[in-house]
Amino acid sequence: MNHFVLQLKKELKKGLFDYLLLLTAGILFLLSLNLFKGERLLEFIILFIFTSFYVIWGIYHHIIEDSLHLKTVIEYILIAFTLMFLLKLIILPS
Amino acid sequence: MKSVKRFLHHLFIPQETNNYRAKALHLDFLTYYLIFVLFLTFGFKILSSKSADVLGFATDITIEKLYQLTNAARQENQLSNLNYNQQLALAAQKKASDMFTNNYWSHYGPNGTTPWDFILSSGYRYEFAGENLAKNFLFSQGVIDAWLNSPSHKENILRKDYTEVGFAVENGVLNGEETTIVVEMFGKPLASAIAKEVPVFNQPEIRTNTVEAKSVAPTEIPIIQPQPVILAQKTSSQNKNFGRLSVNSSLIFLAFLILTFIMDFYFASKLRIIRISGKNLAHLIFVGFIFLGLIFLTKGSIL
Repeated sequence: MNHFVLQLKKELKKGLFDYLLLLTAGILFLLSLNLFKGERLLEFIILFIFTSFYVIWGIYHHIIEDSLHLKTVIEYILIAFTLMFLLKLIILPS
Repeated sequence: MKSVKRFLHHLFIPQETNNYRAKALHLDFLTYYLIFVLFLTFGFKILSSKSADVLGFATDITIEKLYQLTNAARQENQLSNLNYNQQLALAAQKKASDMFTNNYWSHYGPNGTTPWDFILSSGYRYEFAGENLAKNFLFSQGVIDAWLNSPSHKENILRKDYTEVGFAVENGVLNGEETTIVVEMFGKPLASAIAKEVPVFNQPEIRTNTVEAKSVAPTEIPIIQPQPVILAQKTSSQNKNFGRLSVNSSLIFLAFLILTFIMDFYFASKLRIIRISGKNLAHLIFVGFIFLGLIFLTKGSIL
């Protein structure tokens, strides 16, 4: 467990600004969803913006850390868009 | 048993067999997840276009549940139960259809129609009447919770003057967007001695979502009979099942992803593995926000 906490702290310390940026975007995402609740099209646009931001954030973060690799970019794209389509099933089912 | 254990280790724990990355997070597995979700999305789209009336909307809102929850809220506040009235239900249905036909989301129509126009045209003569509206909720509980959290809507639900209620849950296209509208009409019929002809109304006192008419009620034979409690609703069961199914399966998938990221991160840090991959912490944060977003998405708007 110690390694886990240490690794977590190390990771956060190393990219504090990046993670704060991601948290801010996440909070904005939730606030926007709350603001436009019931407006399905707007909700989907907000979701699309957040998922796209996440992919860009991932690329930016790995560029800063000098660990960018095509495999990593694909991983971010796959995770982001899988979750986007998963939520699309609820927002715009047809 | 041993092979199952080995398989689970291979799936979730970074080790030599999976190139020190949980197999469930490998690119091929992530691609399968995306293909599966796309299959669901487009499969559903094709199904709904073939039978638009059956699968076009995915909500789990039923009149039975709305009625039950409304009365439960009244009971909690020591108020009498509301009787279900078919004329009010018809008025609610007319109101919902009118909103779709004339493309508006308001208590008042663009051509000046008011909530009580629908109530009167349904043959319901009222002493008090009110209306609550909601759209794009996924669950009945969400609709009632949102109304109870809004002072004016709560006032309608908990108003002791009302004795009857009617609901409509209608699907349609509003502002180019598939929408599920919930209309709740409250009323108290005119006292037993009232006229058959339409009473002459004074200017009703209007509140956000409540209409109250102090009518001149001539004395004649009563026309309002106690209505039977009829709770039938023509809501497709596939719709209801799909709504709950899609939310539940999304929650299960998100929980699976969160668990996999945590396990992979834990064992990778424990074994001090250095590898080229995305950041599990970032993925966890992202999935966490999507999880919260999913909760937000079950809520719609009220009026």
